[in-house]
Amino acid sequence: MLAYLVRRVAMTVPTLLLVALTVFVLMRLIPGDPALLMLGDSADAAQLAEARRQLGLDQPVPLQFMHWLVQVLQGDFGHSIANGQAVLPLILERFQVSASIVLVAVAIAALIAVPAGLIAAWKQNKPLDVAIVGGATLLLSVPSFWLGLLLLLAFGMKLGWLPVVGYVPLTEDFGQGLLYIVLPIATLALIETGVLTRMSRASAIEVLRLEYVTHARAKGAPESQVLRRHVLPNAFAPTLTLIGLVLGHLLGGIAVLETVFTLPGLGRLLVDAIFARDYPVVQGVLLFTALIYVAINLLVDLCYPLFDPRVAAQ
Amino acid sequence: MTHASMPLFRSLGVVAAAAALAASAHAQAPNTLRVRLNADIRSTDPGVNRDFNTDVVALHLVEGLVGMKEDTTAGPLLASKVDVSKDGKTYTFKLRDGVTFHNGAPLTADDVAWTWKRYLAPATQWRCLPEFDGRGIAKITAITTPDPKTVVFTLDKPSALFLTTMARIDCGGSGIYHRASVGADGKWIAPIGTGPFKLGDWKRAQYVELLRFDGYASRTDAMDGLTGGKKAEVDRLRFMVIPDDAAAKAALLSNGIDLLTDIGVAQLGDLNGQANVKIDISATGNMNGILFQTRDPLLKDVRIRRALALSINTPELVRGVTNALAKPNNSVVPIVSPYYGPVEAAGYKYDLAQAKKLLAEAGYTGQPIKMLTNKRYAASFDVALLSQAMAARSGIKIDLEVIDWAAQLDRYSKGDYQMMSFVYSARLDPSLAFDMLTGPKDTQPRKVWDNPEVQAKLVESMQVPEKARRQALFDELHKRMLDDVPLIPLYNGLQITAANKKVQGLRTWAAEVPRLWNVKTR
Repeated sequence: MLAYLVRRVAMTVPTLLLVALTVFVLMRLIPGDPALLMLGDSADAAQLAEARRQLGLDQPVPLQFMHWLVQVLQGDFGHSIANGQAVLPLILERFQVSASIVLVAVAIAALIAVPAGLIAAWKQNKPLDVAIVGGATLLLSVPSFWLGLLLLLAFGMKLGWLPVVGYVPLTEDFGQGLLYIVLPIATLALIETGVLTRMSRASAIEVLRLEYVTHARAKGAPESQVLRRHVLPNAFAPTLTLIGLVLGHLLGGIAVLETVFTLPGLGRLLVDAIFARDYPVVQGVLLFTALIYVAINLLVDLCYPLFDPRVAAQ
Repeated sequence: MTHASMPLFRSLGVVAAAAALAASAHAQAPNTLRVRLNADIRSTDPGVNRDFNTDVVALHLVEGLVGMKEDTTAGPLLASKVDVSKDGKTYTFKLRDGVTFHNGAPLTADDVAWTWKRYLAPATQWRCLPEFDGRGIAKITAITTPDPKTVVFTLDKPSALFLTTMARIDCGGSGIYHRASVGADGKWIAPIGTGPFKLGDWKRAQYVELLRFDGYASRTDAMDGLTGGKKAEVDRLRFMVIPDDAAAKAALLSNGIDLLTDIGVAQLGDLNGQANVKIDISATGNMNGILFQTRDPLLKDVRIRRALALSINTPELVRGVTNALAKPNNSVVPIVSPYYGPVEAAGYKYDLAQAKKLLAEAGYTGQPIKMLTNKRYAASFDVALLSQAMAARSGIKIDLEVIDWAAQLDRYSKGDYQMMSFVYSARLDPSLAFDMLTGPKDTQPRKVWDNPEVQAKLVESMQVPEKARRQALFDELHKRMLDDVPLIPLYNGLQITAANKKVQGLRTWAAEVPRLWNVKTR
């Protein structure tokens, strides 16, 4: 197990290096000058040159990359061009916001979707299955920003139950903080429930057709036991993979929802940084996102043996 | 509904009920004015690492010796009076009595000199340094303080724009702050100014909160632009960062915020007629227009540029883009300027026949012309779209290329375009407005109008103090611009604000900066 872990961690190094290089080069290929955005349309050439010098943008690109890489290896992601903040603390601060929403939303979605998918598979082609599949398809077809706006309209504006804009960290005031993240969590949970239900149902249908399920039924095991002991554990592995992918994807930022709900999360940080051509922040966020993605998938892989002992044996 | 989901929905119901209770408890604190910012501020350092939002916040915290008045000229602010020597090179500012900084320290001439020393240090990276170090309007050769209430600025040459530039909004109004605003290492900490509000809390990407400064010493004259009497009528002023327009609108309608200051024309329809919302619209100094690259192989022919200008029905275009809220203006001089007169009001006359004749003379045979635009500024895109359609009537083929704002600004700066739909930020003095256009393209590729004679006239307009002479110069520059057609100014922008009806005393004006002093909430 340890050797496997070491091998997997070692494999992430070239991935991250490739991500770092790609992001660095792509950011510099797209037109737009952070110094110009900072100084505006009246900046003269001398001012621009001075600003670029101070930002280190007058150096050759390979040198800039090496300089940044050495800094990153020392745990220093640099400073934001836009506001001078240290990038790593900024990322961690914003990540907390995104993570608090994503983790809860995905957990809720999984808690709903896995049993719903299982039941739908069990009642395949029956009205209940059609209802669940229809609901899931509807949820995954709805754009998140639109669903978010609908919820804002209903619970924020019409009913006035929840605040429409703002954010309070849970660590600062749990009760208030909860109010501000209920709607984003609900939106995300609903969307992801649709995705996970489809996967859970498909996996369960596959397993329900296998011989050991027929055997269990032939032995006279009750349906609830068949589903709980034989179908669920075996059908859960593919859904777990999807949960890992979804988590990795969402933890990289839920920019649209963060914009709709005015949450200071990682996705909004990335989008703002791209518009401002804030190179250190974009590079830092994308590298961090890649790291999270790799870590989540590693964690998921390590969890497989819990559900499927054959994986451990291999 | 599945059995599995029932408990969840029951839980959500409980959460929603709890939320409702807590939301009512969390209702807006009394005497707080909540204003939307579409993006976070960049810093709290006036005129340094700034954008418009940063300026808006800074101008509530700090004040300069002079401030911009509603007629876009400069008037005394921290100064009680300003004397100018006969040769126009020495400015003597007498400071007002009783002014204190937010930390309680009295304002002295030394504080003014110290602040200006920091502004003039290249390391500060003050946006307006080039204006005062010899590259711009005039070089400040000395700042002296003959007594604690007097500051004397000496220039190397007379300048009609010295006070106006001092008062510029993008210069942070050259706001004066206490030296404790800066650490011993020279790094900026936070502004300790003399404004009617002091900095409370800045939660990045969330809000900037200002608190009423009880020790504020107001001028006694009436409010006039950024000068005149000011009183912080609310205890707290909270600028809330809400990037999404729809969310901001929802926040206003649900009483989550009190004021939206930057509404687009397209959003106006949804807000008009709302019971608890009042709308205020005023013209600003921003200039929407179409720029030409006069060195382009095709567009270097003035006949083609003029044909384009004659193909565009400016009143019709402006009516379409702004729902008839803005007035057409083919002049670089903003309509709100005291220098906007009958000469400036004369623009291009829509004349398709003449346009076609000019195109034929120039040998234009339908070669495509690429026009850059962006969707960050909706008006910029709409102008491009309508002008494309109008140009087609005279046979001019325009292809639109929509790029993001950063890329467009980059192309503008390098002069790398044929045509572009562009929005210039406000330069309220006509000299500054013409200065943003004219200059040698070899050294300043962003300039659209390279004409040495025009540049000489412009320099003169920056130096002569007499209004009549300046008016004559601006009239002449306007006529030359209509002849050379380096660009087609179309109209000055609008500031549209939507406020909850409980907000009282808000007045919009040409410089766009919302002034949140003297504003009450019922």
